[in-house]
Amino acid sequence: MPQLRLWTLLQGFSRPTSLCTHLHQRAPVDQAHTDSVNLCPVKTLDKWRYPTVEQRAKCMAGSLYVSVPEDGTVLQLLLTEMGLSDSDKPYMALRDDCLHQQRSPALELHVEGPSSGRVLWPVLVISQGSLILACLAMVDAPADPRPPLASLFSVSQGLTLLAGLQAFLCGSGSKPDREGLTSRLAMMPSILLQICPLGTPLDIPQLGASSASAMPTPAGTQKQPAWKTGVHRGRAVVNVALTEMVRSMQYGNRNRQDLWDVYGTVTCKCEVEGVLPNVTVTLTLPPNGSPLMDVLVHPCVSSLDASILTAMSVEDCDSSAFSGPYKFPFSPPLEPFRLCSYTSQVPVPPILGTYQLKDDDNQLRITVSLKLHESVRNSFEYCEAHLPFFNRDQMGSVDVKVSSGQLEVSKEKNLLVWVLGQKFPKSREVSLEGSVSFSGEHPGPTDPLCTDLTAYIKLYFRVPDLTLSGCCVDQHSVQVYSSAKPRIVTSRELLSSEYFIWNSTGTAPVSSGHMML
Amino acid sequence: MSANWPERISAFSRSPSQFLCSTTSDIFLAEVLHELRDDRASDHIKVLLLSPLLEHPTLLCPSVSVGEETALELMSVFAQCSPKSLPLRCHLLLALTSVLLCSCCVSSHTSASQDFLDLLLQMAQDTNDAQAGAALHPLRTTACDCLRELEACLPGLLSQRLELLSTLRQQENSRLHQAYTGLHALALRNAVYLLTQQKGSGAGDLKGALGSNEGFVWGEGSDSAHPNSESHSDLALFSPLTLGPMGKVPSLQTGQDCKELRSLLSSLLEESYLLTSLSQAALLRRLVEVLAMVPAVSPTIFRAQLLRLLGTCKVCLLHTTLLMKAAFTDSLFSAEDEAFLLKRLVGLSQHPLLSTPEKLFYMDCILHFPENRPISSSDESLPVLLTPRLAAALVPTVFNDSVSMLARLNLLSLVYLEEGEEDREGQGGRGLAYLYDHLTSLLHIVENQASREMVVTFFRASFLFLLHFCHVERYSEDLSQRLCDLYLRRTRLAPHLINLADRTQDRLEESGWAVALLRALQRTITEAPLSQLTLQDLRWHLRILARVAEEGEVLQKATLNFLLCVITSSSSALCVSGDWRLGNGVLGVCRRLLLHPSLDSLLTPLADLLQHLTCHYGETDIQDHARLYYTLLTTLSQEKLAGVLAQRGTERGRQAKVRSLSAIMGETEELTSGLTVHQTERPLLRLVKHEPDDCKPDHKPDSEPACETESSPGQGGIEEYRAQFQSSSFASEITLQYHLTHTGVHDPHFDKLFSIRLHFDLTDSHYEEVSDISVPCLFRTRKPPTVTLRLKPKQPYHTTLRASAIFTTEDGLSWHSPLADLNVAFPEVFLPLLTPLGWAREKKQRVFEGIWGEICSGQSEGDLTNAATSLFCDQLEDSAVGELVEKHFQRYLVSDLDKGRCKVLFFLPPQSHVLLKVITEEDAIQVHIATDNWKLLPYVNSYLEDITKESHSTQQVNGDV
Repeated sequence: MPQLRLWTLLQGFSRPTSLCTHLHQRAPVDQAHTDSVNLCPVKTLDKWRYPTVEQRAKCMAGSLYVSVPEDGTVLQLLLTEMGLSDSDKPYMALRDDCLHQQRSPALELHVEGPSSGRVLWPVLVISQGSLILACLAMVDAPADPRPPLASLFSVSQGLTLLAGLQAFLCGSGSKPDREGLTSRLAMMPSILLQICPLGTPLDIPQLGASSASAMPTPAGTQKQPAWKTGVHRGRAVVNVALTEMVRSMQYGNRNRQDLWDVYGTVTCKCEVEGVLPNVTVTLTLPPNGSPLMDVLVHPCVSSLDASILTAMSVEDCDSSAFSGPYKFPFSPPLEPFRLCSYTSQVPVPPILGTYQLKDDDNQLRITVSLKLHESVRNSFEYCEAHLPFFNRDQMGSVDVKVSSGQLEVSKEKNLLVWVLGQKFPKSREVSLEGSVSFSGEHPGPTDPLCTDLTAYIKLYFRVPDLTLSGCCVDQHSVQVYSSAKPRIVTSRELLSSEYFIWNSTGTAPVSSGHMML
Repeated sequence: MSANWPERISAFSRSPSQFLCSTTSDIFLAEVLHELRDDRASDHIKVLLLSPLLEHPTLLCPSVSVGEETALELMSVFAQCSPKSLPLRCHLLLALTSVLLCSCCVSSHTSASQDFLDLLLQMAQDTNDAQAGAALHPLRTTACDCLRELEACLPGLLSQRLELLSTLRQQENSRLHQAYTGLHALALRNAVYLLTQQKGSGAGDLKGALGSNEGFVWGEGSDSAHPNSESHSDLALFSPLTLGPMGKVPSLQTGQDCKELRSLLSSLLEESYLLTSLSQAALLRRLVEVLAMVPAVSPTIFRAQLLRLLGTCKVCLLHTTLLMKAAFTDSLFSAEDEAFLLKRLVGLSQHPLLSTPEKLFYMDCILHFPENRPISSSDESLPVLLTPRLAAALVPTVFNDSVSMLARLNLLSLVYLEEGEEDREGQGGRGLAYLYDHLTSLLHIVENQASREMVVTFFRASFLFLLHFCHVERYSEDLSQRLCDLYLRRTRLAPHLINLADRTQDRLEESGWAVALLRALQRTITEAPLSQLTLQDLRWHLRILARVAEEGEVLQKATLNFLLCVITSSSSALCVSGDWRLGNGVLGVCRRLLLHPSLDSLLTPLADLLQHLTCHYGETDIQDHARLYYTLLTTLSQEKLAGVLAQRGTERGRQAKVRSLSAIMGETEELTSGLTVHQTERPLLRLVKHEPDDCKPDHKPDSEPACETESSPGQGGIEEYRAQFQSSSFASEITLQYHLTHTGVHDPHFDKLFSIRLHFDLTDSHYEEVSDISVPCLFRTRKPPTVTLRLKPKQPYHTTLRASAIFTTEDGLSWHSPLADLNVAFPEVFLPLLTPLGWAREKKQRVFEGIWGEICSGQSEGDLTNAATSLFCDQLEDSAVGELVEKHFQRYLVSDLDKGRCKVLFFLPPQSHVLLKVITEEDAIQVHIATDNWKLLPYVNSYLEDITKESHSTQQVNGDV
């Protein structure tokens, strides 16, 4: 059986998720950019042991069986393995040995020290914010030699369960809200009983299913899907929202190619009557649009055409490739869900920028220009450029002029925020020029990557009713096979994500291998 | 009591061992069951009470009998539950499953487990809520879950009920059909597997099995009485067949005729869409196993599902397709499919919308990609189709989190290693150049005040790079140079560098990279301008130099010159400051130099250095050590020096010297290792219970004033008896005697042991701490010494003591050895009635009657709220009763056996009494029990059971003779 021996949920630590944490955060310098050493004690919020699975694990492993120690020990071992224990010590052999290759989703817990060979494996861990979710999957194969992780069915089950629990606990946002979290934590024991009885993961908790409109299913001949708690009663509404994110790395350097790409998600909320109603959503591209790649679909999609899956970002695009229409027939669950996602390569970035810094006697001379591409609708909900400076003293005098928008200066954070507002000027070009001296008394934020003239601008923007790939869901293409004619609402938007413009006079880090090789 | 249940339960769950120190598992279990039966307790509390049984059934129900009793209790609680208490009833079913399975009741085929199975099956049969209504859905689901778990733990249990399971699954239209499907699929898979194990079974048997509707199949065949669940020799029952270590799947030869199975499989597949992703994946995997065992059904029946599965965003479903591919290779996946799947995996490994663990998992799947025609079978190998071009999507960058970065580095290293083999120059291509650039950009980050995590990641990345590309000198040499530069800027990285050197030396012994790195570090340290040296840096330098001095190949002149400069230079404040730790650091280097093979050439400068330390260092301890080293250096030959100082590789006889010279170890860590108490592998000693010849109690309180022979005649004497307890030390101890002997382990080294100190740890809180016991010596050839153990109970229960011994062997080494746990049985806690000297029999009897009366009347004079009476009966012949009394009760008799009657009093320190009136009538024995501590009753009862059972067996033996 694909089963778990143990699952546990911890709280108390926050840790950087990336080597260069701030680059991935929504608002980079809002957070104190320290080592993220959070000294509040870690506590176990919830945990569950599955003794019947344990018994089978014992049978399977024979003499190599390692029993699960008590909670306190598990906690300590887990933190050591995750590199979170004893954060005041710069080096600990147990924690920092370079032999420990943490490069798989499964950790090893060395129960009696690293040399004993008594290892609990595979411990799967997902952490978000201060929450750590972990489970120990059962190895349902002979323990010696250790089977590859990829052959253990319980691993993908465990990962799916953890991801589901994480989504449930933290919600869709990156940071869990405190009150919601507390109430959801209180529900954990009963939820786990339902979705993982006796250590067998069966389901993931559902978020936001509107129970008000869900009615128990009438007895009938049609089998009800296990992922649907009831049927919808009331007015039929289908809501399809298309969100595209654009990423970019612009270097302004002839030796280094600029990069940009797009990924999109289609989120649906379908309130349609019937036990197993049929809905089809069709995505279309403009005549010469580049095909949607890496398409991933929700399990409620009932069938897929092979051509939809053929285009992939890891190989060169064939211009004759299938480019729609992309049909997704499905039977919707009650809650909102992500119908599908895709990536796409678009010919131009929406905003092209240049960024130049000159170091002039503890003073930086700054030149920035941004140009909005003509194919992009000049109507933003918001558009901001953030210019952080690291490893310098705090800002003294700031003498910077912008051709459009306003400039906000945060001296403590060494951050310039250029608020461009809703529209670029008619010329579609804006510029920023001036100098900043770093003559403050206190040192500003530090960063190991952005030293010397290595610096970036990060753009934040949202454009409603636009996709860069040209992908759209036509209201009339949404087909619902039901007696009542539903109201159909579609929308689309473009959002920036990791949109960087690097200073062209400094060295910039490589962000993708494709251009190097 | 009930108010603190949540707290108690959470304390138990946090650390059962600690919790059970303050009580015993049987008492706790009894309390839990008692509370569960209590109608006043709320459902919420009762659900909570079940969690210890759900999580730690083996602790609370260690044997089949306890498990069975507990299960019966739980079933009666279940039967009496209000129908509305759904969560409680669900929890009860789960707890019953855990208890019955973990205490081996099910595998022993006990009646409770049979009843439970019947109950579950009965609940499960109410499809579409025909009887109980939709409100009971959760209960029905749980019943199915429990059945599935039972089938999983005892594969084949439901193999004769496939028809019923199939019908139930088809009938159910509510969401519950998922639970039935899971159960059915598992039972089907186990049934087919069991058929493959029966010789000569074929299509007919398969058809029979699918249509079977008989009883449960207990164990591996109804003839074997009760196979212990741990004795399942056939692990394949639990493990996925398709990926067994041998890759061999047992198959069932059915010919082409298996219509029934085919239609069953298609109906299961058709409905798979209606299951949640997790259950769907589990179902598909079961079906893959079934199909792999029945070759007559073609795997192409999966084809209709494949596209849906390949496009899915759920990791469990995509993983199932990979398992399908491993099982069926090209009979289900064409070469094109294979290429597609691999590209898909690469794409998913870097998909912006997937989480890091998912991406890492997909990368792992690439490394273990199930190829249709695998070439190698090594642990991690790249699929042939993974070209450098394709893999380029996964090159590591500084924007990755550290785990992903290391995973990508590993994958790409494997890719470029293959590529490098092809280009023949061995210098690697552009790919390798990129990886090295990446490593240097990490190094650059580390140079700039990186966080601890980044530092660790960098060293792990370096190690990984060296593992693969140590032979590419262009990079490995450059890396060691860069590491030296990095070290000078960040000396506190010394432990990381030493760790890297150690690990590369272990793993890449022949490459010599580690030695080269150490040599370069030595050069870096010794050639750096002294004027810039800080004390902090020096501390790290000494760590590195000490490590360098361990390498025989590395010349040590430079190190010595450096140390001489540092110590003797007039500008150095080091000698004056007299920092003990720094001094130790210097001595640590010196000690290793004393062992260095090139010591001859170092003699003069080393002697100079030591002498300077002896004369000028501002710390006496360091001076002393330096003087000792100096003396050793100047008076001993090199071999002797090595013999004195070397720690490893010496035979045991030498170790005594090492220890006696432990004080010379210059560094704190070696100081402690020199003083370490060694650990024996197995227990060397044991304590054997020794019954002293005279059974007279030696607890006579000698401090008590001797009473006159007949004090106040006519008085009950009970007050006088009670008065004795005013002295707190009165009768508070029990004394047990043991012989200390060797265990069977024969090692001449341990024949003579000295200064043995026995240490006892309590495993519960029923007793006061036990003080250590010293035994002067133990020789294998002499009589074993007697050890007297005095225990002071707080509660008169049986207990277990954890014992260990520290002793010295003839060669002066100290050893620590565990002893087997010491069990103090309940009767060992008994003492006879303690009366002042010279009391007459009658007076004792009066005390007995007095206490008896108090208990029975319930009139509590003292604290007799805990009083209780009980009766124990058994069949026993008259003669046996005499034997029994003589053997077990002699010490405790208050009145002798007369006409088959006698009175017995056990006193249990500190304050408990158990009074027995034994009455024999014909062939039966009645024991009336009265006690002032009702908690003792279960123990008294089992004690009486034990001794009467013993009498039965001796009677039996006598009869046989």
